[in-house]
Amino acid sequence: MTYDYHEPETVAAALDLLARYGEDAHFVAGATAFTLLWRQGLLRPGHVIGLRRIAALGGITSAGGALAIGATVTHRAIERSAEVAGYCPALTRTFASVATVRVRNQATLGGNLAHADPAQDPPPMLIALGAEVVAKSAAGERTIPLDELFVDVFTTSLRADEILTSVRCPALAKGTRATYLKFLPRTADDYATVSVAATLRFAEDRRVAGVRVALGGCGPTPLRARSVEAALQGAWPDPRRIADAAARIDADIAPFDDVRGSAAYKRDMARVWTERALTELVS
Amino acid sequence: MKLSHTALVRAPRARVWKLVTDVPAAARCVPGVAAVTPSGTGKYKGSLLVQLGPVRLVLDGDVALTATDEAAGKASVRADAKDSRLGGTVRATMDLALVDRGEDTELRITSDVQIAGRIGEFGQPVIQRKADQLMTQFAECLARTLA
Amino acid sequence: MRHIFAFLSTHRLRFTLNGSPRSLEVRADRRLIDVLRDDLGCTGTKEGCSIGVCGACSVLVAGELLSACLLPAVFVDGRDVTTVEGLAQGDELSPLQDAFIREGGFQCGICTPGQLIAATALLAEHPRPSDDEIRGWMMGNLCRCTGYHGITRAIKAAVA
Repeated sequence: MTYDYHEPETVAAALDLLARYGEDAHFVAGATAFTLLWRQGLLRPGHVIGLRRIAALGGITSAGGALAIGATVTHRAIERSAEVAGYCPALTRTFASVATVRVRNQATLGGNLAHADPAQDPPPMLIALGAEVVAKSAAGERTIPLDELFVDVFTTSLRADEILTSVRCPALAKGTRATYLKFLPRTADDYATVSVAATLRFAEDRRVAGVRVALGGCGPTPLRARSVEAALQGAWPDPRRIADAAARIDADIAPFDDVRGSAAYKRDMARVWTERALTELVS
Repeated sequence: MKLSHTALVRAPRARVWKLVTDVPAAARCVPGVAAVTPSGTGKYKGSLLVQLGPVRLVLDGDVALTATDEAAGKASVRADAKDSRLGGTVRATMDLALVDRGEDTELRITSDVQIAGRIGEFGQPVIQRKADQLMTQFAECLARTLA
Repeated sequence: MRHIFAFLSTHRLRFTLNGSPRSLEVRADRRLIDVLRDDLGCTGTKEGCSIGVCGACSVLVAGELLSACLLPAVFVDGRDVTTVEGLAQGDELSPLQDAFIREGGFQCGICTPGQLIAATALLAEHPRPSDDEIRGWMMGNLCRCTGYHGITRAIKAAVA
């Protein structure tokens, strides 16, 4: 049992192959998730389209304070990038926290997002940064905000005729603080049981001018904690206020039981770690 | 895996009964069902397409109404299917109970689903979630059909 | 070296293994570990978990540390691959291999090729690693026998 492996050199050529083989085709970049699914017998495409050689899908650029990362850039390259560190050290730490150095050397940003496991590290941080994904099809290009990309477990809103080409992170307002906290009660190389990404900035009078909070491992997709945000927006974030805001996380998440914890445990931990993330950001 | 779903159908019990015990008609309310054809007394052959992320399952199998008690408003359905591409089987027993709620009917479905083979690689949480989604959509569709 | 893969389920793979050029036809779905062990007889690289977690299959591709059990063989076309068989120079073990022997860095030996390759990559990147750097890097190489202290000591001793 095998497949035809293609390595087109342009996005257009990749889209051509996709049009030709349709449902029988599957994209890979690093091929970590694909190799596992293939060997489990769960995926049986007749054609695998490797995106590694497409130069347009690589590269990390920063311009005007904004950051753009190509879909085939590896986690390790992002972890080591001076542009990413200059943009947001918490984003560097997020990518550095993924699995092991071997996985990070192989797995790519685009593959990570397309895989859509709700416990992955990059998505909540990218959501908290207000990032968007660029998707290209034969019909053109569109952008999808990260908090609209994930639809269900292992399911994105990418259409069957689209390639995820890059992620764009907007220029951050001056004084924006960011953090990513990963709660790992099992092993250090695991997915998070619960993770919290948050960005926050103060107004002149030290009220919260902007706050974004996103959680991983707390539902079928990474989730934006809008109730928590609403409770903090415009407020002076004293410890009581933060605790109160974190307690509202219940309304925003829908965790389920799995090997990393029961739904009830994850609810508890979501509140605890949201409070820790917010406390860290205001200190 | 045990699942249970309840839906309120805005139709009298007799009408709901008629629909749920008409296997081909009820099957049209299961998302992803293709072709349900009779294959014997109270037995049918059918195909169900289920998508789990990038994985496509094509479950071919038999569905049978194994017990009906109209007076009590109870029926049982048994489904046996396999995915010959991936190699895995699904066996489900569903007990339906219809309860009068004034002019409406409460439909309760208790299912016992056994997964074997490759499909089981997904792990219980993901499979349970998918089964939940299918059952919820089924119940909602029945309610809409009879509204 | 550029190869155009067009509509093929097998590919001509040309790469360098521990300094020697290799060329063979591989099926598209073969992993590097399959090619190393079954096609090339290089059984030093071990398959432990098959899911990229245990590190027993660690190899270096263009100096980068990777799991051979997760890597499509076609990905190493045109690249230098280093396995545990390539660490010694003839009969002369590398300082790291020597240190593993002296410091009790292995018992049954099944994880050892992976440990050595991972540590080789660590030292290439951090020539004088701190304890934290060692532990953080080597975290992905599991050992059931040693309890890890011998491995850490060996790595430190190799660069002392």
